[in-house]
Amino acid sequence: MQTAFGIALDALAYGMVLFIISIGLSVMLGLMRVVNLAHGAFAMVGGYFASYVTGQLGFGYGVAIAIAVVMSIVVLFPLEVLLYRRIYAASELTQVLMTIGITFVVIGLMNYAFGPTMKMIAVPDLISGPVDLGIRSVPAHRLFVIVCGVVIASGLWFMMEKTTFGIKLRATVDNPAMAAALGVRTEWIYASTFALAVALGAFGGVVGAEILPIEPYYALRYMVTFLVVVSIGGAGSILGALVASLGLGLIDTVGKYFIPNLGEFFFYFAVVIIVLVFPKGLLGRAHA
Amino acid sequence: MTSASIADSVKEKKTTALSSDLIGTLAIAVLGGAAYVVFPDDLGLLTRILAAAFFVLSLCLVTGICGIATLGHAVMYGAGAYAAGYFCVQGLTDPIALIVVGAMAGAVMGAVSGAIILRTSGLPQLVLSIALVQLMHAAANKASSITGGSDGLIGISPAPVLGLFAFDFYGRTAYLFGLVLLVCVFAVLQRLVRSPFGLLCRGIMQDRVRVAAMGVSVYPVLIRMYTISGAVAGIGGALIAIATGVVGLDSVSFAWSAEALVMLVLGGASSLYGALIGTVVFMTFEHFVSAASPFHWLAIVGALLIAVVLFLPKGLQSFPARFLVKLRGGRRDHSS
Amino acid sequence: MNWKGIFLAFAAALMVPSGASADTIKVGIVGPFAGPFALAGKNFKLGIDAYRALNGEKVGGKIDVEFIYRDTGGPNPAKAKALAQELIVKDKVDYLGGVYFTPNAMAIAPLLEPSKTALVVFNAATSAITQRSPYIVRTSFTMWQNTVPMAKVASAMGLKKIITTVTDYGPGIDAEKAFKKTFESLGGSVPESIRMPVKTTDFSPIMQRIRDSGADAVFAFLPSGPPTLAYTKSFIDNGLRDQGIKLLTTGDVTHEPDLPALGERALGIRSTYHYSLAHESPENEKFLAKVKEIAGTLDEVNMCAVGAFDGMHVIYKMIEATDGKRDPDKAIAAAKSLDWKSPRGPVRIDPQTRHIRQNIYLREVAKKNGKLINKEIQIFADQPDSGLAPTQ
Repeated sequence: MQTAFGIALDALAYGMVLFIISIGLSVMLGLMRVVNLAHGAFAMVGGYFASYVTGQLGFGYGVAIAIAVVMSIVVLFPLEVLLYRRIYAASELTQVLMTIGITFVVIGLMNYAFGPTMKMIAVPDLISGPVDLGIRSVPAHRLFVIVCGVVIASGLWFMMEKTTFGIKLRATVDNPAMAAALGVRTEWIYASTFALAVALGAFGGVVGAEILPIEPYYALRYMVTFLVVVSIGGAGSILGALVASLGLGLIDTVGKYFIPNLGEFFFYFAVVIIVLVFPKGLLGRAHA
Repeated sequence: MTSASIADSVKEKKTTALSSDLIGTLAIAVLGGAAYVVFPDDLGLLTRILAAAFFVLSLCLVTGICGIATLGHAVMYGAGAYAAGYFCVQGLTDPIALIVVGAMAGAVMGAVSGAIILRTSGLPQLVLSIALVQLMHAAANKASSITGGSDGLIGISPAPVLGLFAFDFYGRTAYLFGLVLLVCVFAVLQRLVRSPFGLLCRGIMQDRVRVAAMGVSVYPVLIRMYTISGAVAGIGGALIAIATGVVGLDSVSFAWSAEALVMLVLGGASSLYGALIGTVVFMTFEHFVSAASPFHWLAIVGALLIAVVLFLPKGLQSFPARFLVKLRGGRRDHSS
Repeated sequence: MNWKGIFLAFAAALMVPSGASADTIKVGIVGPFAGPFALAGKNFKLGIDAYRALNGEKVGGKIDVEFIYRDTGGPNPAKAKALAQELIVKDKVDYLGGVYFTPNAMAIAPLLEPSKTALVVFNAATSAITQRSPYIVRTSFTMWQNTVPMAKVASAMGLKKIITTVTDYGPGIDAEKAFKKTFESLGGSVPESIRMPVKTTDFSPIMQRIRDSGADAVFAFLPSGPPTLAYTKSFIDNGLRDQGIKLLTTGDVTHEPDLPALGERALGIRSTYHYSLAHESPENEKFLAKVKEIAGTLDEVNMCAVGAFDGMHVIYKMIEATDGKRDPDKAIAAAKSLDWKSPRGPVRIDPQTRHIRQNIYLREVAKKNGKLINKEIQIFADQPDSGLAPTQ
């Protein structure tokens, strides 16, 4: 019983980390239909900013998160205007190549600017170390991540369903021409969605850094994992991404606990089966 | 292309195909031979380029001809490499037999992975291909009693080719052996691409629904192509196993799959020549640039990729193709 | 056929390296200078540069040494072999050095005898490598060499039941075997050995497993970098340390460039390794002062720099012994009898295995002048590589 609880808790925490970082990718894929392999690079850029702000400038964690998110948008937004805009309507292959190219450039630049070692983001005492939940102790940081995940998920849901921006956005996704004819400035919608995706990526990179440490190869190392989450969740579905993240977190955790020696094998085997059974994702939209 | 234009190009090809195929194959043989004479000190690199050429040609068959997006093509290459290596360690040392073993292993892996990947399309297909290559990578790492795991499969020492030409440390035999293989395989692939089967595959890429409406069962056709592609990749894997004497986990990696895709698109995905051009340009470029400035290497490749996507969507091969079209009096572009 | 004959004769005349004495000796260095493992390549170069700065650009004051660097990226035997081939055939190097990954070393080994080239391995740590060619000398370490002392420490600490957790690849499996065999021979028990997938990012389930096993301590090996950070954080944040479970590792887990990222929570972690930046000796002081002068900082220095530094010592001695002539048999014979004071402590080349014998240190992460270091607290003198017999 205690073990089951432990596994469930670990799975929930890990799943939430996956969710926080992947949701930006899901948004972009679902709304702009871009297979953005550079999403990991977005998260990494955020992580580097946060590391610089806490380490070199000595600011606190909260400030670091805010600065990282804002600066990532400032630095990466020009990519939307210069590059992404041209591939919104292109084939998956073209998108994959362009975004792999962007990833390589970012890795090269980060490696050059900050060196090849891992970067630390100082976490305040409040959310570091173990917290005793009575049954067992869990990392305080995991609890923080779970809370962040819940806040992000509900915030996004609210934005999509209840705000004017969300309505315009969904209209643009369903029928860009019609939306434009009705006075929605689709270019603006795309641009702000891009900024949102960057912000989510950067936020995830910073908050998830305790589990996925920031280093130059971050962008490639975890790219596949993020892609898997989004594909299984179904592009653009917030609930889908959440379910997929938690599900994959559970599969990974259970596999590692019971058959650690076959852990990786088990995980990818499960991915193959799930994708075959749900080719459109668990909760993917019908179109595309 | 409309179906009318396909029929058109079939007619056209009947007259010119054979001779132009012959010229192309000869050109590769001559260029390959010239490289041997001009760069006798770089045969190690040249042999790696040959092996990569098989791999990228194989990817061209599924991505360029059939329109299947995959980032896991190395499963077939790795299958060929490990099979050839394993059989060689077990005592089957004849290089030609090992190439056959590699081709067969690649074909089997192609049929199996194709059967899985082809059930979907788009992003799920991409993810499936990645999951498969990771799965095989994990399996190869796990089965270290057969594959040597992360230390690599060692002790591969093939017998002389035809009992005459021993493998030397300059890599002469390995290169010439690989070159002869490449010329033969390329000639076959050219015929294949122009055959009704090859055209059918192109048709599927352009409009799958329409081809299906014509009464063709699409899935088996694609699996057949995938199997052929697997055999070609397997030959490349077997060649590198023979030439290197060690097979590492890198031969079944996601990174190698992604690199092949980059090479293919750089050259031009829809043509076999494009695949070759992309391979040669990329590998040579990598060799020099990574030696000159290792730290910036990745950023430069990235920038190159972005530039190709933006300015040369049909790849490097579209340069000479455009040029040729003009020479022939501005006839309609029919990339082969 | 005829053409081939002519060509071969022509090529042979051009390529076969001459045995004549040369004023310049060329050394080819093969290593990961780009990509995820670039830190190791950077350290190779640092070690080499530091050695030359301290011992002169010319061997014995007269023989020039020229270096040619080639990047292998990650483990990629085909590429490593092609590069070594090119270095030997085209650049006509007299010695090869470097090599970070085992499969790369394995691929280069068969080239050495026919081309009469000696190779000094600066890192690749699988025991069997030196057996692949009589022309290989190694100045790094093996997993057995570093792990066996940790099992002895565990036994001396009175620990009875230890679970091992290693990354599931060659070096990890070596470490597991070495620890298990030694610890069990000393009367301890290893009830469970977990091999963790290479791509593991979340170690919580492993921690749960350790907790459930009821072991007194856990032995861990992971390659330095992100996994060690995630593992250590997971160990502490899941409350295993507070529960009194001891963490024993090899020095890879408390790799100096990673220490700042690990932070204070790493304090007290014990590891065994062949080199600590905090080793107290005049040789190490001199070495680090020079490295700092070259690199500007010591934040990115690790054991690869020392492996390269000592590798250079072996190469210089081989050049001296052969007086700049290409005579690998004589060079290797000279290398076999070498012993010297390295920045890591006294070392010598074992004539049987051509692998370095050295002190292995038990260290504890401590804080000195506000900086985390691996403080040496016990010495296991003159350790051989005990990995060969059991793996055969």
